[in-house]
Amino acid sequence: MAALAALLATPMAHAVPSFARQTGMTCEACHTVYPELNHFGRMFKANGYTLDNLKQVRGITAKKDEMLSLADLPPLSAMIQVSYTQLAKPLPDGTGAPGHSQSGTVDFPQQFSIFYAGKIAPHVGAFLQITYGNDSGTIGIDNTDIRYANNFIFENDKSLVYGLTINNNPTVQDLWNSTPAFGFPYAGTNAGVSPIAGTQIDGTLAQDVAGISAYAMWNEQLYAELGVYRSAKQGAVNPVSGAAGPLDGTTSNVLRSSAPYFRLAYEYNWGRNSLEVGTYGATFKLYPGGGTTTAPALLSGPFNEFRDVAEDFQYQFIADEHVFSLTGTRIHENMNLDASYAAGASANSRDTLTTTRVNANYYYQRKYGGTLAHFATTGSIDNVLYPAPVAPGVVTSANGSPETTGWVGELNYVPWLNMKLSLQYTHFGKFNGASTNYDGFNRNASANDTTYLLFWLVY
Amino acid sequence: MSQRHLSILLGLAASVLLVSAHADDLDAATRAAARKVAIGTCENCHGPEGHSILPKYPVLAGQHANYLAAQMHAFKAQTRGDPDALGYMWGMAATLDDDLITGLADYYSRQKPEAGKLVGGPALAHGKDLYLNGDPANGIPACATCHGPGAEGSDAFPRLAGQHSQYLIKQLKSFQSNLRNVAVMHGVAQGMKSEEMEAVALYLQSLGPKA
Repeated sequence: MAALAALLATPMAHAVPSFARQTGMTCEACHTVYPELNHFGRMFKANGYTLDNLKQVRGITAKKDEMLSLADLPPLSAMIQVSYTQLAKPLPDGTGAPGHSQSGTVDFPQQFSIFYAGKIAPHVGAFLQITYGNDSGTIGIDNTDIRYANNFIFENDKSLVYGLTINNNPTVQDLWNSTPAFGFPYAGTNAGVSPIAGTQIDGTLAQDVAGISAYAMWNEQLYAELGVYRSAKQGAVNPVSGAAGPLDGTTSNVLRSSAPYFRLAYEYNWGRNSLEVGTYGATFKLYPGGGTTTAPALLSGPFNEFRDVAEDFQYQFIADEHVFSLTGTRIHENMNLDASYAAGASANSRDTLTTTRVNANYYYQRKYGGTLAHFATTGSIDNVLYPAPVAPGVVTSANGSPETTGWVGELNYVPWLNMKLSLQYTHFGKFNGASTNYDGFNRNASANDTTYLLFWLVY
Repeated sequence: MSQRHLSILLGLAASVLLVSAHADDLDAATRAAARKVAIGTCENCHGPEGHSILPKYPVLAGQHANYLAAQMHAFKAQTRGDPDALGYMWGMAATLDDDLITGLADYYSRQKPEAGKLVGGPALAHGKDLYLNGDPANGIPACATCHGPGAEGSDAFPRLAGQHSQYLIKQLKSFQSNLRNVAVMHGVAQGMKSEEMEAVALYLQSLGPKA
């Protein structure tokens, strides 16, 4: 039961001008260049997006308790991404006809999003994104993080920021850009070929689960968070009731129970430098589900368990002229595939998968920038989980290996702080287990190399 | 110092005194509210107790309350126009009321001033000479005349000792270009070369509270 990788998945990382309108501060107060956060941006997020410097409509009690605090303007933003993707070699025609699909794709728009991003109440704020994507052709909920936050000041003038977040993508609530939801690539093609394997915490369950977690940050340095996620399916309908729930065996990949999530990070700042090291992870127990009247499935009995544990780091050097950052993460997943193995959907009952990503980013005057990134996914050979194709196909593996490695090079031009033009090239050294003939039908890994041109506007 | 400079200086001093903070009048609730804002919000950039870590943001610890209050009023009124003031502080100061401004100014003025950071090598001696004696031949007055021999400042003029050199250089350039429109400092900075700004800024950064 392999999940398609998030390596080149639809981009999810955004920053929005409604925060700038709310705080009265320029984008660079919170970002190096959007969407990468600096220390102030991380603290703004930890404080629940509530820092507000606009005139407020207020309501208070006789004891001066604040009951309402509304800005004159709602914190709304819009975003559009328009892109062009060119595959190195065209894909086989999906009809099986002796020909090829087009190798160039125009996405107009690739995404169009509306955000509510800002304060809701004195200690409550939200980052809520609704997106139209041309791949789905529909409008749906995207990354969402709703928070309560407050702080406590100790006698020795140290601070403790604490809060709760409810969100729909593990790591979307995180403060650093080394974790999956807001990690590099900040935008990528949705018209390329995605590798066969990815860990669950690496975007696989984005918008498919919802969770609540409690967090605390001491002295703007030490961050800890604990939470749980449950399945929160979009578009799933219970066939008996015709309602949005409860979930039954007709729905695929349903969490058996609450999935625990943890995060621990330490940030140290000196001069123009900031360094973070941390760990995060979650355990997901999933029923494969996906049953039909002719092939029923149960949300009980054997399940698959994915234990994800990751390390991450982020170094930033931030000056007026030069901005540099180096970010990395390694996610290790242990899979207990009892359900898939029993159903003949995996060759092994125990598999592992490891994804590593490192990226270096540089900007001059926050206007001209570039990124060089390396990615690698390795794991157990499993000829059933990562199956060979019976006819020419591209998201397959002839040798049963999920190994995919490669590089991303990106050039950026930011004429204004809310507009970005990117040229991105992705090269695959290995794809689904091999560098040559990875699918058994003579397609090489480099055939999936993509050139991606993106115009990205936020307002 | 020319008579014109002297009159501008006196005018500036008078205007600073007009917005003088009345810290003695502060009640406990205002002090507590200011402390919470300072540690909960201002600290994100200006560092613990105003000891800023990132040189983009000025050190506030030990700065004179009158000067701090005057700057916050200028941010709020959008009359201080250097790029970082405009990009950061116009927003942050927009909803500050007079009591909170006075409380914040009082909080930071009570913090222990920054210790000096000795970097700069040979430029330090040049910077010291410029700071103490100026360069009369090129129309640069001695900074110490207003800011004090140890750059400790006064009610009317800011403390410069221990301030980040990068911040000081940016301010001198903003005075020079009039982005930060202070007539007397424009007069001081207009004849300064970049290396002179750097030398005097490095010297000031090296000064501790007892220099």
